[in-house]
Amino acid sequence: MGLKKLAEKVVDYNERFERGKAEKIKPSHVEKVLRKLRKKAVELETDIASAHSADKKARLHKKLDIANTHIERAEFLMKAID
Amino acid sequence: MRKYYLPVVIALILAAFWFSADAQEIAAGVAIFLFGMMMLEDGFKLFSGGTLERMLERTTGSTPRALVFGILSTTILQSSSLVSVITISFLSAGLISLIGGVGIIFGANIGTTTGAWLVAGLGLKVNIASYAMPMIAISIVLVFQKPKPLRGIGYALGGLGFLFLGIHHMKEGFEAFKDQIDLLRFALPGLLGLLVYTLLGTSATVIMQSSHATMVLILTALAAGQITYENALALAIGANIGTTITAILGSLSANFQGKRLALAHLIFNVTTAVVALVFIAPLRDVVDQISLLVGIGDQDYALKLAVFHTVFNTLGVALMLPLLTRLIAFLERRIVEPALDVSRPRYLNGAVDAFPQTLETALRQEVQHLNENAIELILHGLNLHRQDIYTTDNIAETVRKSRAPMDLDMDEGYERRVKTLYSAIVEFTTRVGERSLEPDINERVHALRDVSGDIVKAVKSVKHLRKNVLRFTGRDMGAVTNLYDGLRTEIARIVVEIHKLESTDPDDRSALWLDQERAQIEDDALATTRRVDDLIRQGRLQPAAATSFLNDSGYAYAAMRNLIEAARKYYIERDSAMAEVERLLSLEDEELDENRLVTDASPNLEAKHHGNKNVARRT
Repeated sequence: MGLKKLAEKVVDYNERFERGKAEKIKPSHVEKVLRKLRKKAVELETDIASAHSADKKARLHKKLDIANTHIERAEFLMKAID
Repeated sequence: MRKYYLPVVIALILAAFWFSADAQEIAAGVAIFLFGMMMLEDGFKLFSGGTLERMLERTTGSTPRALVFGILSTTILQSSSLVSVITISFLSAGLISLIGGVGIIFGANIGTTTGAWLVAGLGLKVNIASYAMPMIAISIVLVFQKPKPLRGIGYALGGLGFLFLGIHHMKEGFEAFKDQIDLLRFALPGLLGLLVYTLLGTSATVIMQSSHATMVLILTALAAGQITYENALALAIGANIGTTITAILGSLSANFQGKRLALAHLIFNVTTAVVALVFIAPLRDVVDQISLLVGIGDQDYALKLAVFHTVFNTLGVALMLPLLTRLIAFLERRIVEPALDVSRPRYLNGAVDAFPQTLETALRQEVQHLNENAIELILHGLNLHRQDIYTTDNIAETVRKSRAPMDLDMDEGYERRVKTLYSAIVEFTTRVGERSLEPDINERVHALRDVSGDIVKAVKSVKHLRKNVLRFTGRDMGAVTNLYDGLRTEIARIVVEIHKLESTDPDDRSALWLDQERAQIEDDALATTRRVDDLIRQGRLQPAAATSFLNDSGYAYAAMRNLIEAARKYYIERDSAMAEVERLLSLEDEELDENRLVTDASPNLEAKHHGNKNVARRT
C-alpha cells in the first residue's frame, strides 16, 4: 500500500496548520499512537499463534497487515513532522 | 407565591424610596454590587477557559482535596453561588462523586467568609471608590477586545470595580441614613432579637440570592452604627441559611444527584446556624479572644463580625466532617435514584447545559446510552443475545446455535428505545450549538450528533433485515440459512470488536484499530457476493431468493459500516492534536480497496462488489 495519499494528507494538514485551523502535531503525539499500534500488532501475533481454525488465522493475518500498514504510516508521519 | 414575589419586592423597594431618599443610595449600592458579582462570574468563565472546571474534575478524588478546592475556588471567585452551581452541574453530568461535591460545598462555606474579611478589612477602611472608577474605565476597553482571555479579564476587572463601587454607595447610604432614622431603635435584645434578625438575614439573602451582598450590607450598616453587634451576628447566621437558595434553585433542573447536593447544602447550613444560635454566647467569647490575639480593636465590630463568620462556618465543617458518610447515606435514602428507564435520556438535563465540559461529557454518555439500547435491539433483531456473543470464543458457532426467534416488536423497540433518545440528542445538540462554544468542543458536539445518526441508521437497516432473519434462520434450511447466518455472524463480530474497544483502557486503545474491521467488512461483502454466485451456478439458490438475499446483505453491510463509522467518530482521541494524527493515519476507502486488490486480483468480482456496496450505501 503506497504512502502517496498520506503524503497528500500531510500537505493538506500543513496548510490548515499554517492557517491556524489545526493543532500542532508534536513527535510525542505520533509516538503515543505508534505505541498503541505496536501493542495491537503484538496482540494480533499472539492471537494468530493461538488460533486453531484456518479461517480465524486468515482473518487475523489481514488485521495484522492493516496494523503494520498503520505502523509504517506512523513512522512516515514521524519523519514528515520532524 | 411566585406570581406575588416580583410585585411585592418592587412595592417594598418603592415604599423604602418614598420613605427615605438615602434608601435609594443603599439599594443602588446593593444593585451595583450584585451587577459586579455577575460580571466577575462571567469574566472568570471567559478567561479561565475551563480551567476551573478541569481542576474541579481532578481535585475531588478525596474529601480533603474537595474541601481545599471549595475554599480556594470560592476565595478566588468570591461567589459560593457560582461554585455550588458548577458543582451541581458536574455532579449531574456524572463527572464528580456526591461525596466530592459535598466536600466542595463545605469548603465553599469557609471560602465565602473571606469576603467579609475583604470588606471589613479593606472596603470599610480604604476609600475603595477611588480604585473603582479607573478599574471600570479600563475594563470597558478590554471588554471590547476580540480575544476571549482579554474580554474575560475586562469583565472580571469591571466586576471588581462595580463591587467596590457598590460597597461605597452602601457605605455612603448608611452614613446619610443614620442622620435621618436611627435603625438602632428597632434593635431587639435576647432570644427574640436572635430569631427575628436570623430570619431577616435569611430573607435578605433569598431575595438577593447572594450571602456576599447581605454580608456587605450588614457590615456597612454595622460600621455606620445602624445595627447592634448582636443583631449583626444573627443576620450573618441567617445569611448562611439563605445562601442555600441558589443551590436549591440550581438543583430544580438537575438530576437526583444535584438534588441530593442541594439538600446536603441546606442540612449543613441549617445545622451550622442552629449550633451557632445555641452557642452564641460562648462563640462571642471565642471571637473576643481571637480578636484580642490578632490585635483587632474591642470596638472594631466589623472585623469581629468577619472573625465570627469564619469561626462559625469552620466550626460547622468541623462538626459535619465526621458525619459525612452518614450524611451521604441519609441523602441516598431520602432522594432515591429513580428506576432506570432505558427509553428516557439519562444524562441530558438542564443542569449540564451551563458548562462546555459538562455538556460534552453528558452528551457522550447519552450517546453511549443510545448505543447500548441500539446494540441490544440489533442483536435481538438477529435473534442473538449480547451475553452469548460477548462471552463466546466462536461467534459463528454461537450464531448457528441461536435458532429460537426472539419475542420482539422491532418497530416498537426502535420508537421507544432509540428514537426517543436520538430526538433528545438532536434537540440538545441544536440547543447548545446555538451558543458560542470553543471550535474544538463545537466540532466534537457535532461529531457526537453524527455518531447518533449512524447508530440510528444501523438499527433501521437491521429492522429491514429482521423479516428474512425470522424466515430463514429459525431452522436449518440449507444454503439460504448459511448465507443469513453468515450475515448475522459478521454483524455480531463488528459488535464484539466495538465492545472490545470500549472495554480497553483509553490509554491503550486507538480508533485506528477499526480500520481492520472496515477492511474485513469489505472482504466479507466481496466473499458473500462470490458465495451467492457459486450457489446460483450450482443450482442451490434460486435467482429470486438470491436477489432477496443480496438486498438484505446490502442492509447488513450498511449496518456494519454505520456501526464502525459511529465507533470511529466516538473513539477518536479527544485531544485535538492526537485526533489529527489518527485522522492522518486512518486509511481512506480507496486505500483499503487498493490493499484488497493486492491480495485478490479478480476484476469481475470486484466490479460486482462495488455495485453491491453502492446499493448498500444508498440504503
